[in-house]
Formats: sequence, structure tokens, C-alpha cells
Amino acid sequence: MTPETENDLDDLFADLAAEDVPVSDALLDRVMMDADAVLAASAPQAPAPVAQGLGAMLLEAIGGWPAFGGLAAATVAGVWLGVSPPAALSPLTESLGGSMIEVPLLDGDLLSALEG
Amino acid sequence: MYTPPFHMNDAHMNDDRPDAVLLSAFALGDRQAALVLTHRLTPRVMGQAYRMLGDRAEAEDVAQEAMMQLWKIAPNWDADRAKVTTWLYRIVANLCTDRLRKSGRGVDLEAVAEPEDDAPSATDRMQTQARAHAVQAALGDLPERQAQAVALRHLEDLSNPQIAEIMDTSVRTVESLIARGKRALVARLSGRKAELGFEDDT
Repeated sequence: MTPETENDLDDLFADLAAEDVPVSDALLDRVMMDADAVLAASAPQAPAPVAQGLGAMLLEAIGGWPAFGGLAAATVAGVWLGVSPPAALSPLTESLGGSMIEVPLLDGDLLSALEG
Repeated sequence: MYTPPFHMNDAHMNDDRPDAVLLSAFALGDRQAALVLTHRLTPRVMGQAYRMLGDRAEAEDVAQEAMMQLWKIAPNWDADRAKVTTWLYRIVANLCTDRLRKSGRGVDLEAVAEPEDDAPSATDRMQTQARAHAVQAALGDLPERQAQAVALRHLEDLSNPQIAEIMDTSVRTVESLIARGKRALVARLSGRKAELGFEDDT
């Protein structure tokens, strides 16, 4: 037998094709870590820019996330209604917006009073 | 957040959703879908890469890279186009021929399997390994498309129409690529017949 015919070549290929190729747990781990990296990179960014700006201001005035609590959700909702008010709710969104802006001002006044 | 080690449980093993459905789920953030795809597809990808390259570490690198490309294309996957497995065959074939051509490899003696205890089967194994590596080295010398067509036909046992789809060409072109590739391989390997044990088969 010589490898001078394609049949012999086919025998060679058959040996190769029949070989068992075990997959290591380490490889599965590597593949899964890549999947996690892609998932993390494509995770949706939380708040929209406008909400972030206002959120940061409120956060500063109030004293950090622990104190923020449910107010954050109310703020975001208020901002959204302000940006895109349903016609029937316009008077309501205006009043909500007004009351939110008063929070830092009031806080500042109190601090001034205490210091003075 | 990834927390190794992870293990396949029955729920993963029995998840029979099609690859494309799992890929869409992954694109929407479903980590379990990635887990199922990892266990389902990595062995196939690894097998194809190893049969073409004959080197476990290199094959693992190719398998990881092919799967990474799959994760990245997930959000843009078009369910109407090729099957996921067809697409992966193409990716792996391309990655492997790239490596074969760049490495300009000969027979890698270090990659030959360790001899078994009993001498006769050890000899057989060595010879089988030498033949395998000779074929893989010769594949690396072929034009890329010929090497891919021959490997998909004879190492992956795919039909010519399947290969045509993978290579995005006609069945007729596939037939031609395989015929030319095999002629070139026979010419190359016949010079090494003594080394590969073809002359003294008993």
C-alpha cells in the first residue's frame, strides 16, 4: 500500500476523523468567561443623561445613596414627565418639577441658618 | 458576574432550543443560553480545530476564538441566514488555515501521543500520529480554499452541498477544490511513504 492513490489518502483521513477529541473543563471555562465578558460589556446603561444630571444634584444635596431611596424613582419619573408630558398631565408635571427643585434650596437655606 | 466552576445540570443538557434561539436569548442577556451553547458547540468546534491542526493547545485557542466571535455576533445574528453550526464551520476553517499557513509546520514530534505500555500498539500509535501530522502539515501547504474544502469533506465528513454553503460557493467549485486539493496532497505525501509506514504494512 502506498499513499499514491486517493483511496490511501482517504484511509489517512479516516484515521484522523475517527480520533476522539475530549474537551477540557478549562476550555469550557474560558469560553464561558468570554460570554460573561460580552454580556457585561453589552449590559444596558441605567439612567438617561438628563436623569443622571439631576440625580447627581439631588444625591449631593441629600447625602448619598442610602438616603436617596424611593426619592430617586420619584425624581426620574418626574423628570420623564417633565421631558415628555402627556397633554392631560401638564399641570401636574409642572408642579412636580417645581417641588423637586425646592429640595436642594431648602437644604441649603437650613445649612446657612445653622452656620450663621 | 462569572463564578467558576460551573457545571452542566440536567436542565442545561435537556434544553433543546435551537442554536439560533439560544443565541438570540444570549443577546438579550440570558446567561443560561450561553451556558447551553458553550456545552453544545464547544466540543464540535474543538474537534474540527484539532483535526485540522493536530495540536491541542492551538485547537483550544481556535475554539475559544471562534466561540468569542459567536458571542460578539449574537446581537446582529440574522436567523434567516446560515445555521449557527454552518457559520462556525466557516469561522473555524478560516482560523485553522490561517494558523497552518503562518506556522509552516512540519511533523511535530512533541505532539505525538505518549507510547502505551505494550510495544506493538505503541508503534502503531506513533505511526498513526505521524501520518496524521503529515496530513495536517500537507494541508497547510495547500491553497487555503483547497485545504478548507478537503478538510470539511474528509475530516468533518460533510457533503459537498453542505461545504458549498459553508464556503459560500457552488457545489461544482467545491468538487473542483477537493479534487485539486487531494491530488496535491497525494503528490506531497507520496514522497514520505516510508516514513509514514505505507511500504511495509504486514
